Amino acid sequence: MPAPTPYEKSFVLSLYERMALIREFEERVKYLFLEGVMPGTIHQCQGQEATATGVCASLNPDDWITSTFRGHGHALAKGLTAQELLDELFGARTGCCKGKGGSMHVGNMKKGMVPGIAIVAGGIPLAAGMALAFKMRGAPQVVACFFGDGAVAEGAFHEGVNMAALWNLPVLFVCENNLYGASTHVSKVMKDTRISRRASYYGFDGRTVDGNDVLAVYEAARQAVAECRAGQGPALLELLTYRRTGHSRRDTCGYQPKDEREAWFSRDPLDRFAAVLTQRGDISQAELDQVKSGVEQQITDAVAKARTAPLAGPEELLQDLFAPSA
Amino acid sequence: MELVMKMPDLSTTDSAIKLVRWLVQPGQSVQRGQSLCEIETDKAASEVESIATGVLKEFRAQPGDLVVVGQELAIFETETPPSPAPSAVPGPVKGPGLFARNRAAVPAPGPTPAPAPAIVLSQAQQTLGRRLQASKQNIPHFYLQASASAEPMIRRRDAASPKPLWEAFFVFAIGKVLKDFERIRWRLNGEGVIAAPTSDIGVAVDARGDLFVAAIAAAPGASVEEISDEIRARAREIQEGAGEARGLRPAAITITNLGASSVESFAAIINPPEVAILAVGKIGPVPVVQDGRVAVQQRVALTLSADHRVINGKYAADFLGAIIREIESV
Repeated sequence: MPAPTPYEKSFVLSLYERMALIREFEERVKYLFLEGVMPGTIHQCQGQEATATGVCASLNPDDWITSTFRGHGHALAKGLTAQELLDELFGARTGCCKGKGGSMHVGNMKKGMVPGIAIVAGGIPLAAGMALAFKMRGAPQVVACFFGDGAVAEGAFHEGVNMAALWNLPVLFVCENNLYGASTHVSKVMKDTRISRRASYYGFDGRTVDGNDVLAVYEAARQAVAECRAGQGPALLELLTYRRTGHSRRDTCGYQPKDEREAWFSRDPLDRFAAVLTQRGDISQAELDQVKSGVEQQITDAVAKARTAPLAGPEELLQDLFAPSA
Repeated sequence: MELVMKMPDLSTTDSAIKLVRWLVQPGQSVQRGQSLCEIETDKAASEVESIATGVLKEFRAQPGDLVVVGQELAIFETETPPSPAPSAVPGPVKGPGLFARNRAAVPAPGPTPAPAPAIVLSQAQQTLGRRLQASKQNIPHFYLQASASAEPMIRRRDAASPKPLWEAFFVFAIGKVLKDFERIRWRLNGEGVIAAPTSDIGVAVDARGDLFVAAIAAAPGASVEEISDEIRARAREIQEGAGEARGLRPAAITITNLGASSVESFAAIINPPEVAILAVGKIGPVPVVQDGRVAVQQRVALTLSADHRVINGKYAADFLGAIIREIESV
């Protein structure tokens, strides 16, 4: 008999809805690509919905995140709409970056998300700088910095993490460890594959968490964010997860062994959370199905609109590139 | 409703995409996301997923065809439309357009990119051809010919069950001597050399007319039989078309064996970045002089091709001699 959970029904349903929205968004984008409707390459996060959702649920609206080339899930979790993302992917001027960012650079400064930084580990020193700004201004804000296992071997990881540690900056470093940097398994690029241990070398705490359990992610992030906000930052969370798709749309994942895929698919974050929710006693499968059909309709409508959204024009090419001079 | 599926943009280098084989048949029901066909680009072999749930009515491309992105692949009969159509009639787009919507306005390429060659080489053959042409043009090959008594190999092979592959004896022999000939593992790098990142030994494998090199790990202490099993397993993966198996895996040196095809001896082209390749001919009875008398002995002809920029004649000769000593004492 599972212990009654302390969470409000509306809260856990909102987490489920956000995860379902991310999954549906990514699946729909995948088919838009296969149908030849969506241009360019796309880095998707099917299977990793719980990391973005759990972390972002622990943040305040005026907290920030930095993201990577795999940023659709982070964006939806931080409160960007499916419409502004789809418009961006279609190159429309109504997109979150006015059609100039595209899939690898989604973000919205008004919603606390710096446009995605596609250079591996590029967001880490940036997050340290943002956190330094919060600290110098005395603002009680936190930045959650998402990156993958592949970023840990970059020099920028050391530089950003070391500085954040030295100055106790309010950064939550979130490593989504999905076992592969593009097609290379973590064991081929690092001797110590327990990434959370790296935090102790820099003098702060790191934790490894089941990244496919959205409530475990939320709890760990909530605690770490509170520490950061109290001036006891930074913190490092290593979230163990798995991507169900290729590194990018042209990658068919031939390097993921079949038994490994099956083992991880049986720990799918959406299926697991659905099971947890229906065991609570106050949420029925029908309610979850309703959430799913709701997000399906939302994406259907957004796709239809995005396909005719006005494209960015050549005359806009040089606009919005630099901050206005003071 | 009828739905046309076109070739998705799966080529990272804009190379043409070769349709290798269909995984479904006309009349068959398919699910959205199900693999429809195997394809090959110059970078990778992969599969194309169906965009529709419905019945496959007709193929618009055949195995062996080179298909360009946007070309029709198959027709489905389906009840549900794919992604929703644009919600409103778009207004006129001013100026030169961007992205896919505008790409759709460009006339789709015809079913055959003209002028199409009568027979299209596989992507694997095209890549191999470019590499070997560069090798033959740029590498100053020299060739050393010798022969070894095959009788110890034959005795050893006849005593085993199942019989090991002939290639396994040569992988075994090279594996034993490679540590004494570090130059064989060298690779030219600017004005210097670097060591190959592997001690694997490559074995040339034929897969439906295409040539692949299987990298054999041949662990220290592995027997001829174990090596033979490894070669068989790797060759099977390649022949079954496993993408990873066909990928380019570096080896220290390659062995190519045409003995089964009655070739007495031949000189092979070096497989870059390697600096040597061993060509193995057929085993057959030849007259030899032993203790001043003519006798008949089973012998095998060996030809070592080497890159004179990295290896000199004496060194290559010592290497070939060491291989022969191992072959004659298995």
